Amino acid sequence: MTANSPSVFLLMINGQIEGANFPEYDDLYCKYCFVYGHDWAPTSGLEEGISQITSKGRDSPHRLVWNFPLEITFKSTNPLGWPQIVVSVYGPDTFGNDVVRGYGATHIPITPGQHTRTIPMFVPESTSRLQKFTSWLLGRRPEFTDPKVVAQGEGREVTRVSSQGFVTLSFNIVTKDMKRLGYDTTATETTHTHTHPVAAGFGPGNQTLSM
Amino acid sequence: MAELHIIGQIVGASGFPQNSLFCKWGIHTGGAWRLLSGLKEGQTQVDLPSTGDMAYWSHPIDIHYTTKGLQGWPKLHLQVWHQDSFGRCELYGYGYCHVPSSPGHHHVSCVTWRPLGSWQEQIAQTFVGGGPQLRSPDLIYSGADRYRLHTVAMGTVELELGIIMRHFDRYGVES
Repeated sequence: MTANSPSVFLLMINGQIEGANFPEYDDLYCKYCFVYGHDWAPTSGLEEGISQITSKGRDSPHRLVWNFPLEITFKSTNPLGWPQIVVSVYGPDTFGNDVVRGYGATHIPITPGQHTRTIPMFVPESTSRLQKFTSWLLGRRPEFTDPKVVAQGEGREVTRVSSQGFVTLSFNIVTKDMKRLGYDTTATETTHTHTHPVAAGFGPGNQTLSM
Repeated sequence: MAELHIIGQIVGASGFPQNSLFCKWGIHTGGAWRLLSGLKEGQTQVDLPSTGDMAYWSHPIDIHYTTKGLQGWPKLHLQVWHQDSFGRCELYGYGYCHVPSSPGHHHVSCVTWRPLGSWQEQIAQTFVGGGPQLRSPDLIYSGADRYRLHTVAMGTVELELGIIMRHFDRYGVES
C-alpha cells in the first residue's frame, strides 16, 4: 500500500435491495447491475445478480420484500462516471409470461455513511393502442434491449414511459483516500481533520480528532 | 485549479395541470468555468405515471467542471413541457436553481413559472393550449429584463444532486 501519495481511491458499498412497492402487481423478482464510467473498475464483489421471487404479505398489502444483498468495491482515479445501480423488476402477467414491470436507476451515494434511497420504476409505453393490445395478448411487452440504457442521459428524449412503482434500497458507504487526493464530499466543519496524519486514508467522518 | 463534480439526477416533477411531462435541462456557468467532461444539457424521457400525481424521469447528471474563480457558479435551468396523446408539445414551466455550493448530497426543489398572456390569450389557452413562450432561454436564469414579464406559478421539479469539490481548500475557499 502506498502510504504517501495514492493515485486511486476506493469506494466500498454494502447494502441491500430491501423491497418494492407495486400496487398493481405481485410475485415479482428483480435483477440489478452496476453501470460506471471508464475510470472505474470493480475490485471485488458481484456486479450483477438476480433475486428470489417474492409475494405480498397478508398484513402489509403493498409491500414486497427481497432483502437482497449488495456487496461491491470499486477503485477509480476520477469521480466522473460515479457508479449507478440499475434495477429491473419482472413478474408474471395474466397468461403466465414473464414481463418487465419496471426499470429504475440511481447513483450510489457519494458520502460515507448510511443512506436509504427509494427509486421510481417505469416501463416503456407502447406507441399505439393496437400495439398495446397485441403485446398484452402475446405477453411480449416493450422492453429495453439493454437495461443499462436507463443509467444514461443520451437518447432518452425519444422514449415514452409510464412509472408504476418504487423500489427501496439501503446503502452503507465507505471511501478510502478521497480526502488524500483532494476530494471533499462533506462540508467544511470537518476540514480540521486533514492536517492530522492519523487515520487519514480512511473514509472521512465527523467522529475523529476532537482533541 | 479547482474542480467540481455534479453527480445526481432529475428525479421528477409534480403539481402541474397534466401528468405526461418531459423536461429540457441545461447548465450555465460563468467565464471562469470550463467543462471537462459530461453532458451539460439534455432532455428527459416523457413519463405518464399510472399511479399517483408525480411524473418520474430519473435522468442522470454526471458533470466535471474545472474553474479559476468562484464567479459564475453553475446554474441549472429547466423547461418542463407536456406531451399529449397526439404527440403535441406544450410549455408548462420554466425554472432554474443554483447548483449547491457545499459538498455532499442535496435534495433540491426547483419552482417553476409560466408566462401569462393577455386575457384573450388566456381564454384561447384553455381551449386550444399553447401560450406565450420566451424568445430566448437566457431569461430563465438572468434577472436582467425580468420586470417586463407577468407570470403565473406552476409545479415543482425535484432533483437529487451530489457535489464533490476538489482543491477548493487550497485556495482558502470554505464551503
